[in-house]
Amino acid sequence: MNWQKYFLAFIITVAIFATAFYIAARIDDRRIADVRAIQQNLALDILSTETQFDLLGEIDCDLISENPVLSNELNSLASRLAYTEENLGSDNLEVVALKKQYSLLEIKDYLLMQRVSQKCGLKPVFILYFYTNVGDCMDCRRAGEVLTYLRQTYPALRVYSFDYHLELGALQTLVGLRRVKPDLPAFVINNRAPVYGFKTLEEMQKLIPELKTLATSTPKT
Amino acid sequence: MDIGALGVGGVLFIALYFEVFLLISFFEQKPKKKTNRAPRRYPSVSIVVPCFNEEPTLAKTIYSLLSLRYPKEKLEVIVVDDGSTDNTRAIGERFAQTHQQVRFFHKENGGKYTALNLGIKESGSELVGCLDADSFVAPDALCEVIKRFEEHPETHAVVPAMHVYKPRRILELMQAAEYTFGIFIKRTFDNLTAISVLPGPFSIYRREMFDRIGFFRHAHNTEDMEIAFRMHAHGLKIRNSHTASVYTTVPTTLRALLRQRTRWSQGFLQNSRDYSYMYANPRYGHFGLLVLPFGLTMFFGALYAAGYILYTTLFFLVQRVLDLATTGVPLALPQLPRLDWFFLETGVLTFLVCAMFAVTLFTMLIGKNIGKTNIGWGSLVAYFVLYGFVAPLWLARAAWGVLLARESAWR
Repeated sequence: MNWQKYFLAFIITVAIFATAFYIAARIDDRRIADVRAIQQNLALDILSTETQFDLLGEIDCDLISENPVLSNELNSLASRLAYTEENLGSDNLEVVALKKQYSLLEIKDYLLMQRVSQKCGLKPVFILYFYTNVGDCMDCRRAGEVLTYLRQTYPALRVYSFDYHLELGALQTLVGLRRVKPDLPAFVINNRAPVYGFKTLEEMQKLIPELKTLATSTPKT
Repeated sequence: MDIGALGVGGVLFIALYFEVFLLISFFEQKPKKKTNRAPRRYPSVSIVVPCFNEEPTLAKTIYSLLSLRYPKEKLEVIVVDDGSTDNTRAIGERFAQTHQQVRFFHKENGGKYTALNLGIKESGSELVGCLDADSFVAPDALCEVIKRFEEHPETHAVVPAMHVYKPRRILELMQAAEYTFGIFIKRTFDNLTAISVLPGPFSIYRREMFDRIGFFRHAHNTEDMEIAFRMHAHGLKIRNSHTASVYTTVPTTLRALLRQRTRWSQGFLQNSRDYSYMYANPRYGHFGLLVLPFGLTMFFGALYAAGYILYTTLFFLVQRVLDLATTGVPLALPQLPRLDWFFLETGVLTFLVCAMFAVTLFTMLIGKNIGKTNIGWGSLVAYFVLYGFVAPLWLARAAWGVLLARESAWR
């Protein structure tokens, strides 16, 4: 019996597996680098707008109303981050670091947009959405679907989603300021008192009467 | 990666290991090219054609045998009608009357193995073979088989290279690719002396072998598999002649295909149980150490992988339906995949499946090359697209049949 052949086949098979793991890991690294690059660009854009605001005390409101600040970039980043999290797992250290940066950018964008809105007399609709990855939060997943649909339907709607249990000082300060309890999912709509638990599309639309003032991208149903 | 996907990874590892092992074994001893050299000697040969309701193809089968380039006085055709209810008997009798080489026997229906045994007992030749009445041989097929016996005088049986006869429909095209893969497998199993089945179309035996180990048995309707198991149990060698081409008709409908493959698969499980002592037993060489354990592992591995994919797909669909019902979000048409490399599925399993496809395709191309098979890309596409969906059906039916101790249906 030629045992060497059995061993050689094993080594080659292991090598094929190792190659598959290596390629998959390299592509995941590229994804993380891609997300990081977008985050850096976004951070620069936010900083630039903030600086412009601080320097001049005013910004071009026409431009702001025509091109909602960074909304598209944030949405693109959110979908990429969600995909990366789905593939690598929510407890992956790189994913956690990216989520922290993303949450910080969201908070900065949220604060900046509030200042811009005041200055320019805009009436945007803000939703702070708190979810959790702890356990199997089916209500969080479904709430996410409703918000995704609303965001697609009303491009001007600004949804900021946060992992409630993410260990990030700024996020915990926001949670404290808005008095959000760990009864998730939770929503803070236009700085009103938090609303808890899953809400259907219809219930959500009733909770946000301001939606009627927003333009839609698709016919309302 | 969840535990279910890990299991699929394990199945892929075993499947890849097996294919890599076969490739190494193939290249260790590459097959010789076909030559025009005639056999040194022409031993007497009897070909038994067992038939049951084979009216549409029997005449063509007999004509193909009569057209073999072999001395007429050395070749006889024994047609055994196993109680047909159609015109088979009349066709057989007509050939016996008009061709000296053909003998015809009619008996009550008793199963294919009884018809084969009758023919073998009636034959007095040095070699005896069988040919299913839905198959046709190439004119030089017998000479190629004889040359293989000459190259390895210790051989007790030789199996040919099987091709699908004029594949046209999609299931035939799929099987044409599968049979091409089979040409590679048989050739490599030859190198390993581990051929696991002696198919009905044109397997040729030394006649004295039957006196030594007995005749065909019912063997759960897979007498061609059981005889191979028994030969290995007795240490008798089986060889493959990849240059001996036989063309067989294959099921054209899913129903017929499932019935045929369920019988084969169930026969494998039941014969495995009967010959369980050969499993992982080095005494039986690569057949006991690799072919049998791998066959059984892949039987259940393929069922597991198919079950996992079915479960995850159904789970996803049910979840989507429940989400839609719960959230009140209107149903939208499925979106086209995003043309962005970022969202391409590039998990480890994806690359492993690609590697598996690539290795399988490579082995098929080897089979096509050595068997001079005329299959096109249509066959390959049909195989890679369809086989993964239909094979689990017959595997599941076979496992279910064994569990219920139910006899598999022949037709």
